[in-house]
Amino acid sequence: MDEGNRELARLLARVALRDQAAFREVYRLTSGHLLGLAVGILERRDRAEDVLQEAFMNVWNHASGYRADVATPMTWLINIVRNKAIDKLRVGKAERAATVELDDEALALPDAPERQPQQLMDESLKRARIEACMGELSAGQRQAIALAYYQGLVHTEIAERLGAPLGTVKAWVRRGLDRLKGCLEQAGLSAA
Amino acid sequence: MNLLDPRRLDALAREYAIGTLAGGARRRFERLLRDSRAAELAVLVWQERLATLARPVPPLEPSERVWAQLEQRLFPAPAAAGRGAERWWQRLLSGRSLGGALAGMLIAVVVLREQPAWVGLEPARETLPASYVGLLHDQTGRPTLLASSRRHGRVLTVKMLQPLAVPAGSVAVLWALPNAKDGGAPFAVGRVPAQGSASVALADTSEKLFFNVARLGVSIEPATGAALPAGPSGAFVLSGDCVKLW
Repeated sequence: MDEGNRELARLLARVALRDQAAFREVYRLTSGHLLGLAVGILERRDRAEDVLQEAFMNVWNHASGYRADVATPMTWLINIVRNKAIDKLRVGKAERAATVELDDEALALPDAPERQPQQLMDESLKRARIEACMGELSAGQRQAIALAYYQGLVHTEIAERLGAPLGTVKAWVRRGLDRLKGCLEQAGLSAA
Repeated sequence: MNLLDPRRLDALAREYAIGTLAGGARRRFERLLRDSRAAELAVLVWQERLATLARPVPPLEPSERVWAQLEQRLFPAPAAAGRGAERWWQRLLSGRSLGGALAGMLIAVVVLREQPAWVGLEPARETLPASYVGLLHDQTGRPTLLASSRRHGRVLTVKMLQPLAVPAGSVAVLWALPNAKDGGAPFAVGRVPAQGSASVALADTSEKLFFNVARLGVSIEPATGAALPAGPSGAFVLSGDCVKLW
């Protein structure tokens, strides 16, 4: 665990004891990054902020459930936000199929290049020093993972977006993730 | 199909963690996650790997309303000046509610005299067994929940005197509020039904749990597995006194 995560783990332990100042500090340190992730999935700031608020309600109520021995604090927080964002995205899709929202245009975020899934994926692989290892994947495999992770798309949606057969997309995601696992293990070993 | 087969489990955990597991399969796997430590660990490992991908996501400053609403929902501001450091549950214990407290105690005793079966106390003898009893009212003052437990028992009997509105996806949780001088924050006693009666298993004997408890409250909480929340997330929809009877 890096220093930032150690500090977060200490703060979460205090949040579990109902320390409001520690809770505020966790929010200050992480809400920006978490909102960035939620916006990537929901593509609308207002909906992403609702998810952020719900997620922090969970953090306050369930901080005692956080276990420092099994997950880093940031991963724990990311999971709460991503799962809520994915649920909201999928409920929202069903609702939007039945209604037309007139303000969609106004609330949608502009497509900033630094938020494009493919760019985020390349940058994260570079930071983890596994770009060479992951470079052996096809462009399709990497795109499929990027669309699933950053935008919360399911196999059928990825297939549509990339114009590839569903079975192919499922295999891309599966093999791509197994490759990611292998590359991270390799990087971990070489760093040790 | 055995979901707990390690290879099968790893595949499901991988698809759940990245998010491609959808619909009914996602819900079913979430149920499995609540019960299976192996499933939980399999997911955690994948989530940790995937967190690598989250790092370069550019932060976005949330608008002020997010924190303002969080504060409002989690830490409602004290109503009166001079009570700054008090928490809202401590105000429930203050002198302002004393009149209500006394009235509640009287009603509890009257109810016990007239309707011992309500509280699950079968009067085998002329006197009532030593017990803890709580009578909780809704916001309009109607008696709504009756709770009782024998002093050395580990079961709390709950009877709803009128139905409680519990939204879908939520549960009603009973809280014990220790005396302010003992500095205790509320602790969760257990879930209570929206109507009818229920027996709630206690973590310890009622003597140990309720010795310092003056008030009880019920709040509506999101239904999240078997675990009880660490603290109430909102105001109490029911509240009342906890009385010790000898």
